[in-house]
Amino acid sequence: MPQLTTRILPWYAVPWVIDGWQKVKRYPLIPLALLLFVMVIPAIFAPWVAPHDAFLGSLSDRLQPPVWQSGGTSEHLLGTDKLGRDMLSRIIYGARVSLTVSLIAIFVGGIIGTALGLISGYFGGRTDSVIMRLVDISLALPTILLALVLVAAVGPSFGTVITVLIVLLWARYARLVRGETLAIKELDFIARARVAGASHTRIMFRYMFPNVVNSLIVLATLQVGYVILFESALSFLGAGLPRAEPAWGVMVADGRELIVTAWWVSMFPGLAIMLTVLSLNLLGDWLRDHLDPKLRNL
Amino acid sequence: MQRFIAIRVLQSLMAILVMSMIVFGLARLSGNPIDVMLPLEAEQADYDRLSKHWGLDKPITTQYFIFIKKALQGDFGDSLKYQGKSAMSLVTERLPATLELAGFALLISAILALPIGVLAAVAKGSSWDTAAKIIALLGQSLPAFWLGIVLMWVFAVMLDWLPSSGRGGLRHLILPAITLGWFQVAVIMRLVRSSMLEVMDSEFVKLARVKGIPEWKVIWKHCLRNASIAPLTVFAIIAGSLLTGSVVTETVFTWPGIGLLVVDAVRSRDFQVVQAVVILFAGIFILCNLLVDILYAYLDPRIRYQ
Amino acid sequence: MKARLCSLFAGLLMAAVAVIGTVPIPASAAQVKRLIFASAGFHESNRFWTIARPDHLQFEPFWETLLGMDPKTGDPIPALATKWEHSPDFKEWTFHLRKGVQFHFGYGEMTSADVVHAHSLLIRKDSTATLRAMWVTAEEVKPVDKYTVVFRFKNPIMPPSMMFAVQRSGDLRITSKAQWDKEGVEGLDKRPAGTGPFMYGGRQTGLNIVFKRNDKHWSGNKVDYEELEFRIAREEATRLALLLSGDVHIADLPRELHKDALARGLKRFQSSLAVDWVSVYMGGQWYITGHKHFDPKAPFANKKVRQALNIAINRDEMLKTVFAGRAELAYLSLWVPASEGWNPKWQSKFKELYAYNPEKAKQLLKEAGYGPGNPLTFEIWAFTEPGESEGPAIADALAIYFKNVGVNAQVQMQDWAKIRTTYRKYQSKNIMWPNIIGWRPADNGVRNFYYSKGANHHYEDDFLEKTFGEVLKSNDAKQRNELMRAIGDHIQAEYADIPLFWFRNEVFTNPKVVGSWVYPGPAAGRSSHFELIKLVK
Repeated sequence: MPQLTTRILPWYAVPWVIDGWQKVKRYPLIPLALLLFVMVIPAIFAPWVAPHDAFLGSLSDRLQPPVWQSGGTSEHLLGTDKLGRDMLSRIIYGARVSLTVSLIAIFVGGIIGTALGLISGYFGGRTDSVIMRLVDISLALPTILLALVLVAAVGPSFGTVITVLIVLLWARYARLVRGETLAIKELDFIARARVAGASHTRIMFRYMFPNVVNSLIVLATLQVGYVILFESALSFLGAGLPRAEPAWGVMVADGRELIVTAWWVSMFPGLAIMLTVLSLNLLGDWLRDHLDPKLRNL
Repeated sequence: MQRFIAIRVLQSLMAILVMSMIVFGLARLSGNPIDVMLPLEAEQADYDRLSKHWGLDKPITTQYFIFIKKALQGDFGDSLKYQGKSAMSLVTERLPATLELAGFALLISAILALPIGVLAAVAKGSSWDTAAKIIALLGQSLPAFWLGIVLMWVFAVMLDWLPSSGRGGLRHLILPAITLGWFQVAVIMRLVRSSMLEVMDSEFVKLARVKGIPEWKVIWKHCLRNASIAPLTVFAIIAGSLLTGSVVTETVFTWPGIGLLVVDAVRSRDFQVVQAVVILFAGIFILCNLLVDILYAYLDPRIRYQ
Repeated sequence: MKARLCSLFAGLLMAAVAVIGTVPIPASAAQVKRLIFASAGFHESNRFWTIARPDHLQFEPFWETLLGMDPKTGDPIPALATKWEHSPDFKEWTFHLRKGVQFHFGYGEMTSADVVHAHSLLIRKDSTATLRAMWVTAEEVKPVDKYTVVFRFKNPIMPPSMMFAVQRSGDLRITSKAQWDKEGVEGLDKRPAGTGPFMYGGRQTGLNIVFKRNDKHWSGNKVDYEELEFRIAREEATRLALLLSGDVHIADLPRELHKDALARGLKRFQSSLAVDWVSVYMGGQWYITGHKHFDPKAPFANKKVRQALNIAINRDEMLKTVFAGRAELAYLSLWVPASEGWNPKWQSKFKELYAYNPEKAKQLLKEAGYGPGNPLTFEIWAFTEPGESEGPAIADALAIYFKNVGVNAQVQMQDWAKIRTTYRKYQSKNIMWPNIIGWRPADNGVRNFYYSKGANHHYEDDFLEKTFGEVLKSNDAKQRNELMRAIGDHIQAEYADIPLFWFRNEVFTNPKVVGSWVYPGPAAGRSSHFELIKLVK
């Protein structure tokens, strides 16, 4: 028997407000809000939101503490770094850097991985074997080590870091998509399409791809956080983005000897990384629960 | 079954071989160890002399074949940085430290993840569940190097409860292990939670409840036992993740393990050691994968024929 | 159910805290048996002929050289050799050894045979010793009698070079021939026998190296403590943490942390002399007529550009901020007042030529053809080595100064190996790099950096080539001095590089443990003379 509940609404509660609120509550508000403020807005609107230039500083202003400590000014809310650059501005611009790197890497890696996964699952046989072996090798690569060696070889740059990330990421997409493709391959509507004369490409992209999109979205969301962590770990080891960029990882690495004296130089970028990745993970979790519970093992 | 195992072993060996080629080529591409070894006073003649002495003047394919030939006999060459020590002896010297750290980290994360996972499953949807989820997710969101630095600063300097670096006894292990292990807590916890949820709904558990067995016994004895199998499936991934994470953690805490060894080796262009470590890491990972695959094939005959 | 889990958790937590506990930290010298020095790290090996300065830190306590260094003045003083002389043509050098010096672990008395043996190690095929090129030119190393050794070289070796070779370079460490004969290189790898105030105690790679006091040292002095340990801690914050928590008693800290370390009551010991200088070198400066790789369009090939870059830098501000005031201005690279060819006029010339003047810099750049529409662009490559962490901060600061005058300088982190390979192969015309270089005699430095036969090619031109060629041929100290002075004048006037600062070695100590310490600085290990550390009573 369905349970009926009656709630006594206060006099100011208009029914459609309550309804609207119920609808909104269905969405993961906290992670979205966090993400918006820590990453998306800073990244897109950096030049307007940042109070100072992230690249210029004056040596006489160096290592000023945040505004709430003695010695801090409201000029630099979160203090300044070793070269007198405003921390808040650098963190805001850093969001742009992190977002760019991760989006490009995931986009390209995702496309490559999805394509190879579709091909592998659809055609099966030899192709499947070869591609899956490549996936295995790729997943077995000790990525941080290879990133270190690669950067030692060609020098740190945007391109190097993105290449390493793509090599790191594509295999997971390939494996996921292949699994899903295998499941769908035997279904009726695919067979009917083949009979109707549809080409392989058409079937793969018109019929199979839409069915894997949900899983791809979940995976991609979870991957962004991982990519940001990986890139900052690389920067910490000195093998990440070029120094000119205010990347969060580089900022934490720079400030690590000052953790005693000028803790804010490392603390705030680290906090930024943490909040961004946390909100992405929460969002990804929510997406997974709502889009595709099968993916709980990701 | 035999055929399956044979094919997988062969594929694994091929993977290791490809890996060795990749790391060999990249390492040689990255520069010259002689540039690190020689003082500023060196002249071109010194470069030529040392190149010849270390066999670096030969073409790269020749160097590769020499390397493979010796590697098959267990000789990964001599370290260029630690003169007088062979790459393999350095690796075996430092491996126990990393294994100790990784093992302890895994222990801590399992000890934390199991109860949290069970709690989250039992109290599904409640605030406990969310809290558990957040603690676990925090581990996956914190940059390990930052966590390490903060932990070191709070516990070693401000509070002076634990040592800040180096390897010694149990006390030295705690901070690095937490730094390394927190990441895994989320993975393990999530798995425990979902498999617990599955098991808790199953027929034989319902039967046990009907039979009147107390709830806590149902949870711990029956459910958990079945749920514990699931984390084994990701064991290979966890092992790989621990090894990779050790690189950063060992750098922060100056833990004398393989991670720190390889970071130093890359910086010094100590090819032999870099090759040895990368192949070792990859080998461990591929081996774990192989074992898990075989285990699965044993349990689920359908897989053998794919 | 939930309550049970909670209490279980709480119980575990309490147990964990109880396990951790606290250990009392020795705070007085009476309890300090082992003095621990936290070092940023060094290439670890006992094969001293393959180790470069400043990693000789690991040998200073137990392996001695023929001559010692006065801790205050740095002058050569008798150590394993009591007297030394040379032939008039400077080709033969004779050393009279101290009698009665015993090797550690019972390997007998030091004689001239051990000196010959040490020399033979330096010329091995795998040797990367600082002055191997010089040691190889020894036509004969003769043990005239038990306590006298004669070195006969193919070419004359002038006193500054020879003194460098047998003292500050740390090359010729006298090791036991008897041990080598009996145990070979494995014996040296395992437990090398030296003659110093400490004996080799053992090492764990990546962790530490330990020494034990030698009660039978030839000096007769008694060291205040029993054991010495060098512990490796790469991270700067870790070294400070170790020092503050009492885990170590001495540590070298980057200048960034000096203010805070002093505020927390740590004591600072500075070396008596300057140890390293930091200059920024500009690539592409190969002006010798007909040089294959020279590109006249390279950014630094224009003297106006070099001058502009030099005067765009506010050295005083950099000194106060990046180096926390703990350095001295360098009027040009390489030379100190005690060096051969020092010209006292360089100080005033420096004020005239290198004074901070960003307006003039912009003017010069305009004259050189650069401007807002066509900015000067190049890369600054920075690197860090253990114990030398200021590189990136210097590079960043330079980029800011250059940006102020309209120059587009991109800072890139590289590692040292990459930078060196690049400039050695003449591929460096678009980069500049700050380098912290250890003191060396002026002729050694000119040969390495400003002469075509050296491998560093910082700045080479016909004048330097000719003048230094004459230096190499000359036996006359006065003539050499004049020639070297001319070389220095030329380097300063041509703005060959961007000289910045000289600094000393500075270490911090636990004030409750370390009372006093005097050490010169430019020894092969930077920190040295550990036997002179007096503990607080």
